[in-house]
Amino acid sequence: MKRSPFLVALPWIMPWIIGFVAFLAAPIVMSLWYSLNDYSLLEPAAFVGLDNYKELAGDPLFWRVTRNTLLYGLVSSGLSVMLSLLIAAMLETRVRGAALVRAIVFIPTLVPAVSGAVSWLWLYNPRFGLINSALSTLGVDGPDWLGSTAWAMPSLVVMGLWVIGSSVLVYSAALQDVPRTLYESASIDGVGRLGRFRHVTLPMVSPAILFNGVMSLIWSLQLFAPPHLMTRGGPEETTYTYSMYVYNNAFIYGRMGYASALAWLQILVTLALTLIVLAVGRKFVYYRAA
Amino acid sequence: MASVTRRAVIGSLAGAAALAAFWPREARSRRTIPSGRVVLRYWEKWTGPEGEAIQRVVDRFNESQDRVWVQRVPVADPMSKAMVAVGGGDPPDVLGMFSYNVAQFAEARAAMSLDEFVSRPGAIDPSIYKPAVARMLSHQGRQWAGVNTCYTLALYCNRAILASIGADPSRLPRTIEELDALAERLIDRDAQGKLTRVGFVPNLPSWWPYFWPIMFGGSLYDAAHDRATVASEECIRAYEWIGRCAARISPASAGAFANSYARSFHSPEDPFISGHAAMIVQGPWLANFIRHYSPSLDYAAVPVPLWPDVPDPDQPRGMLEADVLMIPRGCPHPEESFAFLRYMQSREIQEQLASEHCKSSPMARVSDEFMRTHANKSVAVHDAITASPRVEVLPQTRAWKPYADLLIGAFDEVWSGGDPRAIMTRVQSRAQAILDKAAVLRSRREGAPA
Amino acid sequence: MGVERRQGGHDSGAGREGGGARIGSRLGAWMSLAVIGFLYAVPLVWGFLVSLKTPGQASAPGLGVLPRFEGEGGDPSLFSVAYWSRFFEQAASNYRDVWTSPIADFPLYLRNSLLVAVLSVLGTLVSSSIVAYGFSRLQWRGRDAVFTLVLATMMVPQAVVIAPSYLIFRELGWIGTFAPLWAPAWFSGASSVFMLRQFFLTIPRELDEAARIDGCSHVGVFVRVILPLSRPALAAVGLFQFVASWNDFLGPLVFLNHQEQYTLQLGLANYYAQHGGTPWNLVMAFSTLVIVPVLLLFLLTRRLFVEGVATQGLKE
Repeated sequence: MKRSPFLVALPWIMPWIIGFVAFLAAPIVMSLWYSLNDYSLLEPAAFVGLDNYKELAGDPLFWRVTRNTLLYGLVSSGLSVMLSLLIAAMLETRVRGAALVRAIVFIPTLVPAVSGAVSWLWLYNPRFGLINSALSTLGVDGPDWLGSTAWAMPSLVVMGLWVIGSSVLVYSAALQDVPRTLYESASIDGVGRLGRFRHVTLPMVSPAILFNGVMSLIWSLQLFAPPHLMTRGGPEETTYTYSMYVYNNAFIYGRMGYASALAWLQILVTLALTLIVLAVGRKFVYYRAA
Repeated sequence: MASVTRRAVIGSLAGAAALAAFWPREARSRRTIPSGRVVLRYWEKWTGPEGEAIQRVVDRFNESQDRVWVQRVPVADPMSKAMVAVGGGDPPDVLGMFSYNVAQFAEARAAMSLDEFVSRPGAIDPSIYKPAVARMLSHQGRQWAGVNTCYTLALYCNRAILASIGADPSRLPRTIEELDALAERLIDRDAQGKLTRVGFVPNLPSWWPYFWPIMFGGSLYDAAHDRATVASEECIRAYEWIGRCAARISPASAGAFANSYARSFHSPEDPFISGHAAMIVQGPWLANFIRHYSPSLDYAAVPVPLWPDVPDPDQPRGMLEADVLMIPRGCPHPEESFAFLRYMQSREIQEQLASEHCKSSPMARVSDEFMRTHANKSVAVHDAITASPRVEVLPQTRAWKPYADLLIGAFDEVWSGGDPRAIMTRVQSRAQAILDKAAVLRSRREGAPA
Repeated sequence: MGVERRQGGHDSGAGREGGGARIGSRLGAWMSLAVIGFLYAVPLVWGFLVSLKTPGQASAPGLGVLPRFEGEGGDPSLFSVAYWSRFFEQAASNYRDVWTSPIADFPLYLRNSLLVAVLSVLGTLVSSSIVAYGFSRLQWRGRDAVFTLVLATMMVPQAVVIAPSYLIFRELGWIGTFAPLWAPAWFSGASSVFMLRQFFLTIPRELDEAARIDGCSHVGVFVRVILPLSRPALAAVGLFQFVASWNDFLGPLVFLNHQEQYTLQLGLANYYAQHGGTPWNLVMAFSTLVIVPVLLLFLLTRRLFVEGVATQGLKE
């Protein structure tokens, strides 16, 4: 008797099924249940229906962190997509030392978030940090980067742009896949350098742009460690991110029910945004016939 | 060739890593524990000289008997770690927390009430503490924590700097007006106009954004009616004054000035110890760091100035907080934990620790020896505030932590010119929503069988 | 001028105009790359330099690259033996202070980090290769739909599910143990499965069909044909998992309770945030020690990293 192909495959994919159910599906379902409860972790949960969701609507801090996070996510992923394409294109000129620069740009992605945070904290220090020390030799009195409402968020964005090495590598691979003949025939047709970039390079790497855009959007929407360690969300809650608010409610304020409601919304919004970007992006992406 | 050696290097690194990963290694802190003792894990936030002082007390306990061994574990952020650990069913034996955590842990039943040990020898009589201290350790009529030193805030003044501008160093400010006037004169700038010294700014340090209403006769919380009251006239007056302080120097430059010292406190670069702030509102531990880093500094402390009345020397106002010891629910050795906690509640031990931390004593009875030999010249000021009937404690509710966090952002907003009334009205209504939620939870639990 | 003529390289729009303009644009490209390299290197390099200084200099304004020492006879010259002996003395004392710090048991944290990372790497390698075999070598109805689901889970970030995961690990009684940090890796990770599946698909099917004809079961094909041919992919997957585990901060922050379980990341955060503050030079020395292992790994296995990251971008 021959077993059905699915039964043959089942044991092979079993580890994934168990992992998926136990470490992803079950927590998400459980948190849906707890989001309908008042739950402090330490006392039995008390069912409150949709109270937590209603509370969200009237919680100014919830709106604040949502706005901060969306702003950071859009600005930071937008800039990182552009900057990493620019760097990848420059690396493709392959002048001497390009390989070294590629390595240097990639290394920050390997640096643990905590180490990155302490390094940047020191750079941004208003009194003795490197940035303001350098500015003062130019006669400029640098601002209090992480302490001023105007600069704190941009400072975190800049720090985020330091960690774009993986996008650069993805672009590099895509750029190297562009057939050289395309550039040559465009040159013969008299297309200038910018024109070649616009009409040859961009369409050819557009799948990579979409991929990098989606990945960096997802990651930037969950920003946690840098503001948690560097600004604690201040000043004036300008760097308070959504993930920090979830963490604080769950593990500091003892409000797991409210945190679960927050987490659920975060999952839904992240998913929705990803799908929107994918749907819109696909219209502009050029796929070569395989 | 190159790839072979590289592979060899990677292989041996991986091997070494795997070996190191499974190599049995005992924590450094566990090596000195004598065998046969019940080991208690005690989480404490103090490090540096303060950590050494608590270690000496712990050593004293460990030597005082041969059954229990207390192991002090420095934890930077005990609050969140403790919630997670107790919630996860894996708490330590003793928790060193702040007094404002008592209500939260009590209401969530995350700590054991000391009343559960009432039948044990040496049950604690709350009258051994100063009245306000006893109030902080209890919640809803039961005692939940033991004290582990306490502190009040005072205005520390650098007398040498005062004298250098011709101010009378023996006549320190007593009212907000006097403070403002003196602070103004003490400001110093360099040739480029950059701030090099402040007289006084209320955001240095920025640890107590909720402190000033007390000095303006206000209160953040009406316990009897469970109301947040930070939008009351007195509180708003306090925050209006903070806005004026910022505006006088310029919010941005005074903010940057304070921020650049955010990690320098308790070090030789501390703004007060290094002379960059002529007056500062600080706890008594400041004297401890002065004696370490700048023993010759000529300073004196007075109760924090008041608005609008003049302080009554017999009844100074101020804010009292304490470091406390709690026994988390579900801890492995509650009986032994209580024995240690009880040991720490003696006058002698608290005086030893308080004097090493340069604080005043939380206990009702204070020895002459303690006051006479104290390293903080201004210990009497702190002691008088602690014992004063007009001393205030922080709101005793589980909603305090989120409430206090709202005030951090609100303080910054006021600092950069926001309208205190609008800001505090918003904070008050949000804080009230959190309080109401906590009240629902409380009434449910009280309604349900225990 | 380091102008190299590329053999069969690809030009993404940079100068093809020939002559002087070409050299000019090369020079421009070289200079902009130099600036980029400098900017990206500064944070880490500067952190390392701070780790060599005295506490006072680490928090003093200025652009001094190297530490300065004031002796009785004034500043020793940079070219004197006295300077360099002070230099190494200071550096050694900073790093020794970190290694032996009374508030952070560095060697123990190192052991913990390694333990978590090694167990995670082993788990990922075993489980993900098995799962990848099921998604590449076996034909079954619904395979592509399920695989899309696998890819979709890659899009769920850790911070979003950390609070819900805490609830599950609490049910399992795992809070305060290392298990939440490594056990999930034994049930395969989406990106590892993806990378291995892509690699398995490149192995000619004739090889395993020949083995099947010889009477090999799927297990036999997997162990004797697929795995031996997949060493580079397995190495890349292991490497990525190692870095991910080593660098994890949120997991240890939420799931570990006791100091003797801290990993290096948590230890560094605790060390940095300690009550009263830590001198910057020591914080930077701690941080440098935490970075060095991953950096070393990267330098030794650069190609694997580069190819691995590039593969991840090619899914569609």
